[in-house]
Amino acid sequence: MEFSGAVDIPAPRDEVFAFVTDPNRVGACGPGVESIEVIDPTHFRAKAKVGVGFIQARFVVDLEIAEQKPPDMAIIKAHGQAPGSAVDALGRMNLVDGPEAGSTTMLWAAEVSISGMIASVGARLVEGTANKMIGQTFDCIRAAIVAER
Amino acid sequence: MTTTTYEAQAPTTTPEVGGMGHSRKRVEDARFIRGAGHYIDDINLPGQLWLDIVRSPYAHARIKSIDASEALKVPGVAAVITGKDLEGYGLHWMPTLAGDKQMVLPVDTVLYQSQEVAAVIATSRYAAADGVAAVLVDYEPLPVVVDPYKALEPGAPVLRPDRGEDLQTNRIWHWESGDRARTDAALAGSAMVVKEHIYLPRIHVASIETCGCVADWDAVNGHLTLHMTSQAPHVIRTVVAIIAAGVGLPIPEHQIRVKTHDIGGGFGGKVPAYPGYVLAVAASFLTGKPVKWIEDRSENLQADSFARDYHIDAELGVSADGRITAVKATTIADHGAFDAQAAPLKFHAGLFNVITGSYDYPDAFVEVDGVYTNKPPGGVAYRCSFRVTEAVHAIERLVDIAAHERGEDPAEFRLRNFIPADKFPYTTPTGWEYDSGNYAAALRKAMDMIGYEDLRKEQAEKRARGELMGIGICSFTEIVGAGPSHDFDIVGLKMNDGAELRVHPTGKALLRIGSQTQGQGHETTYAQIVAEELGIPAADVKVEYGDTDTAPYGLGTYGSRSTPVSGAATAVASRKVREKARAIAAHLLEANVDDLEWTNGKFSVKGSPDRAKTIQDIAFAAYTNYPAGMEMGLEAVDYYDPPNFTYPFGSYICVVDIDKATGVVKIRRFVAVDDCGNIINPMIVDGQIHGGLAMGLAPAMLEEIPYDANGNNLAGTFMDYLLPTAVETPAWETGKTITPSPHHPLGAKGVGESATVGAPPAIANAVVDALWHLGVRHIDIPLTPQKIWAILHEKGIA
Repeated sequence: MEFSGAVDIPAPRDEVFAFVTDPNRVGACGPGVESIEVIDPTHFRAKAKVGVGFIQARFVVDLEIAEQKPPDMAIIKAHGQAPGSAVDALGRMNLVDGPEAGSTTMLWAAEVSISGMIASVGARLVEGTANKMIGQTFDCIRAAIVAER
Repeated sequence: MTTTTYEAQAPTTTPEVGGMGHSRKRVEDARFIRGAGHYIDDINLPGQLWLDIVRSPYAHARIKSIDASEALKVPGVAAVITGKDLEGYGLHWMPTLAGDKQMVLPVDTVLYQSQEVAAVIATSRYAAADGVAAVLVDYEPLPVVVDPYKALEPGAPVLRPDRGEDLQTNRIWHWESGDRARTDAALAGSAMVVKEHIYLPRIHVASIETCGCVADWDAVNGHLTLHMTSQAPHVIRTVVAIIAAGVGLPIPEHQIRVKTHDIGGGFGGKVPAYPGYVLAVAASFLTGKPVKWIEDRSENLQADSFARDYHIDAELGVSADGRITAVKATTIADHGAFDAQAAPLKFHAGLFNVITGSYDYPDAFVEVDGVYTNKPPGGVAYRCSFRVTEAVHAIERLVDIAAHERGEDPAEFRLRNFIPADKFPYTTPTGWEYDSGNYAAALRKAMDMIGYEDLRKEQAEKRARGELMGIGICSFTEIVGAGPSHDFDIVGLKMNDGAELRVHPTGKALLRIGSQTQGQGHETTYAQIVAEELGIPAADVKVEYGDTDTAPYGLGTYGSRSTPVSGAATAVASRKVREKARAIAAHLLEANVDDLEWTNGKFSVKGSPDRAKTIQDIAFAAYTNYPAGMEMGLEAVDYYDPPNFTYPFGSYICVVDIDKATGVVKIRRFVAVDDCGNIINPMIVDGQIHGGLAMGLAPAMLEEIPYDANGNNLAGTFMDYLLPTAVETPAWETGKTITPSPHHPLGAKGVGESATVGAPPAIANAVVDALWHLGVRHIDIPLTPQKIWAILHEKGIA
């Protein structure tokens, strides 16, 4: 599955970049995230409870900032597993000047592959659920950055 | 409403005796309708442990590590078994019935989503499931191959590097039948050649009882009891013994007892051996305790063996005067990661070359390539013997297309091309000898029952008004009763079946058979065979099966083989008993054996019918007053080697109305005329046909197991894998013609699968018939509303 979008955030690029690459801050915006463990500056481990339809699974997700050019670009790889299910994702984020002075537009794209029980049993619901979760995440990021200012 | 028109052969026994032709009520129903059946999950043994399975989320991945430490901390978890543990015993692979091998647990690579990766043994089902959730497996995903055509392309990952150096390809085997050159020449010389690509999707039998077993290793006595839900318990016993001997485990065949209890649906899915069985046996062996394994619904729908997945490119030639000249089919068979089908060893594509159908023409050629993909094992039956459904679907679609292209009525085209009744036995271009048939009689009867001419008039009127109505015919020929020993075996075991009949002193009898009932009503019908042959009332005959310690050997029940093979063995064993009874009767009547005649369960002296001894008199004498030099008792055993297959046939006609706005297909009427030779129990035959029609409707309209590009099964629950309910199932109208098998002792042919084979093409032909004038010539099943709506939308109708 491929997802992409653009989000305007009323904050300068370096602030946005700092927020979204700080696992402790951005992690709180992930739906269902229960804990974030920082292994090193580019490797993190998140535990998250995800529900697709009537199935709930607790995923352990290893995240890696595979490439970054602060404050313009970052590529994040994720590999998560839950009993009987797995998710692999590659996300890319480009930050550009936003429509307003001092604002930032985040252009993002993600390639997500879901395997196992969740894909099999929740196939019809996965895309909708993923869209909803992505929307929630960006709403949260924007709100959190605004709140921090 | 159900209509049955039926001209049965007249019963020769009284209703009290209840031999052939009597609609005797099913004796097994007394326990089924009271909820007193005894299924595999009803078995619970003292000290029993439960086994649950960790399954792969990936369709193709390398296993980097398996960490069971957290699972072992779960209260109640006794052990976790991995592929590496089994490797130590050489048990990580097992043989399949098709002569391939299959991983019990992988050591380093998984090949399909939901493949078994580890087993957790615990003191309760819940603890085992909690243990499964706590096993951490680290995978490295590998490229997934779900399309068999891509699997054959150069550069595709070789999924089974374990095979020999010369077999480093995803092509499992190539199989062909018939004469290619003659067929090509015949097609080239035909006035018209109809070509079509026909895909029969992957489907699952979805029996209501999932697979499972209780393995009980008795270390003190060195004895293994394996309680199972298996269609072929004797074969399982032998396979377990071969596996054990191969790895040096002390479990010889005489110390293995497989017990199959009531089965909640088999339909082919309970023929193979699954890794869960081997794991349960290994776990019982390791722990010294009974171990139970029961699949849940999603495991059953995702991991067990599947049917179909046949990609057929078929051609049919027709002469200018409308006669079929030849048929050719090139086929790709997607067998998943392991070739675990239960096909006779010499017949990789089963009996697919019966694709020549019910028609008379000289040339045919069929080729099939079996292919490995990242899917669970495929190619196992779905209430159909050995690829006959695929073959019949292809020929019946082609025949319909040819008739339509000629602008001719499909019934007329069939009637012209049928093998004439006087040409039986008939040898087909691919070498089968059809034993008997009268195809035109069956089709004409179906046309009369449904009022064919009136329906065609109605269709023309409706079409003029823009309404969509279709009439579809399928005139199928089945090939059942595997099989003659010269050609047919499963893992080397000849496909014969035993029957053992003992008549007790008071004239009651015990019949033990090697086949295995799964709802067919063997306890009822086999007693009727004994009643027919010996005059012992069916109610006085107890029928036993399923316990390998007591039942005679048999290859099991699938491919409609019970009546053709095991039923024949029962008839022959009964006749052996009758011959001994004749000698005892001669002794009792002080007559010469040649002077006795057998009528109505009695031997009497020819010309003086009052001088007679009933079978009950004779049974008592067999233990009390038998001739000098004769052994006491009245019993016989027979292992039946069928001289040929039997060839049941029939003609089905389906009428559909299609909603133009939604694409919903409504089956208005469905007439099924079957000919399965002589009938043992008409009620049970009708029950088999009703069930089979529903199971034919299912893949025609609803069922499909699709996979996404990552190899995820997208129909892992009954929310996505749709079974027909009473709502979707029309009122079936059934009729019979009777053309006995000339070689079967009872003239019977077998019927369990006819309807599943015949129904889908009848439905598909009806739907295409409704849309032909719009330029539609073929639609692959299932005929879902989405598919039909998309076509109507494209044609500017919906």
